[in-house]
Amino acid sequence: MKNISKKVIYLLFFVIFVGFMLFPFLFILFSSFKLPKDIMAIPPKLLPTQWIFSNYVDAFQIQPLVIYLRNSLIMSLLVVLMTILIGSLAAYALSRTEIKGKKIFLVFLLLISLLPPVTIINPIYQLLSKVHLLNTYFGLALVITVLELPLAVWFLTAFFNTIPKSLEESAEIDGANIVQVFRSILFPLVKSGIFIVSILVFIGAWNQFLFALVLNQFEARRMVTVGVTLYITDYLVPWGVLSAASIIVIIPLILMVLALQKRILSGVLEGGVKE
Amino acid sequence: MKRREKIGYLCLLPAALLVLVFVFYPVAKTIWLSFHELRVQTMVDGAKFIGFGNYEKILRDETFWKTFRWTFMFTVISVSIELVIGMGLALIMNRKIPGQGIIRTTILIPWAIPTIVAGMMWSYLFGQYGMINEILLKAHIITAYLPWMTEEFYAKTAIIIADVWKTTPYMSLLLLAGLQNVPKNLYEAAAIDGAGKIQQFFRITIPMIKPALMVAVLFRVVAALRIYDLIAAMTSGGPAGTTESLSIYAVSTYFRYGNWGYGAALSVVMLVLALIISLFFVDAMKSKVGE
Repeated sequence: MKNISKKVIYLLFFVIFVGFMLFPFLFILFSSFKLPKDIMAIPPKLLPTQWIFSNYVDAFQIQPLVIYLRNSLIMSLLVVLMTILIGSLAAYALSRTEIKGKKIFLVFLLLISLLPPVTIINPIYQLLSKVHLLNTYFGLALVITVLELPLAVWFLTAFFNTIPKSLEESAEIDGANIVQVFRSILFPLVKSGIFIVSILVFIGAWNQFLFALVLNQFEARRMVTVGVTLYITDYLVPWGVLSAASIIVIIPLILMVLALQKRILSGVLEGGVKE
Repeated sequence: MKRREKIGYLCLLPAALLVLVFVFYPVAKTIWLSFHELRVQTMVDGAKFIGFGNYEKILRDETFWKTFRWTFMFTVISVSIELVIGMGLALIMNRKIPGQGIIRTTILIPWAIPTIVAGMMWSYLFGQYGMINEILLKAHIITAYLPWMTEEFYAKTAIIIADVWKTTPYMSLLLLAGLQNVPKNLYEAAAIDGAGKIQQFFRITIPMIKPALMVAVLFRVVAALRIYDLIAAMTSGGPAGTTESLSIYAVSTYFRYGNWGYGAALSVVMLVLALIISLFFVDAMKSKVGE
């Protein structure tokens, strides 16, 4: 008897929890296929009376969504590239060489992730304006790279530390130089770590809002998180079109999460707190 | 200096340079600006040193205290709820239980959705004739539609609910990481000694995951204090500025009112707040850096 009631409680929890987590997403998904009269319906209905696709067509016509998507994709890939390159160099230094001030550097990185963005946003705006990097992929990507660097360095350092040094030492005795060691021994071993960090950094960069809003205001270089808010005007919120645009923005992320669920989880779990 | 050492510094150089240019310099500049009077409208006159003038103004600024109280309240309430639910979730995910895979996939969805989009979704759901009101009405929890987005108390509640939805997954993953490091035989030994489940939780689980727990709470508290995206998307600070957070106030002081000196002082206050809170967690950070 006790066992059955336990199962019922768990099932109840399970349904309510999964429902609560998925509900907003599902509701937006259904709304994106609704006619205006279904959107306006009082009381609101969960499912469309008639499934239509025109909200998606409108989403691309009302705002240059293709440009926004392209901008976010280019900028995020640039961030991944720079973060991985700079981050793995730093992680290599922290894990493999006898330099001073390692802990101080790690603590500073930790402090960056605690920093409120408003403390740096105005000077960064001025700085990028002076060097003509406002409204460019590179300027915004540089700033976001700095914000993503703590995660990457922490994670990659931990990853480098799990690889026994003896492998490189024996290669070095055989006369391999550092570049060769890095390329032929370390890189293949940390490949999976780099992959996970890339995914986490990509999602982080794609989802950035405040810096994207302030630094890239021109339409030609506007990020999709900023662009998607522009469907809302003073007079009305076109929920059907906005829902369609939202779905377009999050579908790549959701597909990525579904496809790479195990690796993302292990990434977050290991990068999160393990020493 | 040995050759290896040189290579080490060389490898660290790009990261250090980036941090110098995009963190150190801006923070120093903001601190400098906070002691000056500088407005976009009178930019030609240059910055005028006014000592602690901006900070004195903050003490007398009612808008500041209003946003401060709300940001603080928001942080305490949402992080507490997230901690309790996140802990429950982490305990469930740490067991072999049917539906495990579905739970794990499900929690990654709110985590992956951009906060700005999540905020817009929730403001739709919380609309006057929105789905939340309809569900509450059908369930006989309310008798008339609630003014979620147009009255202070309800708007604040809505923001907290949306934040809990968005960030509990991350909290639960950080806690789960801690739970996975607790040796199972501790529980077996405790069970033999006759300790019940609740006793085991408070005597073994909590002390063992304390470092992970502290780090998770620190990160969430600091992130909640600087909340911007979610509120910008849901209410833009309304109704009548009652849900404006410190970040929103600072950003609009900078970029809408063009008051750089005062905006800088507000940002420095936020920075100091984040530092003070971090001090409470020094032990937790030490465990992360490794002794």
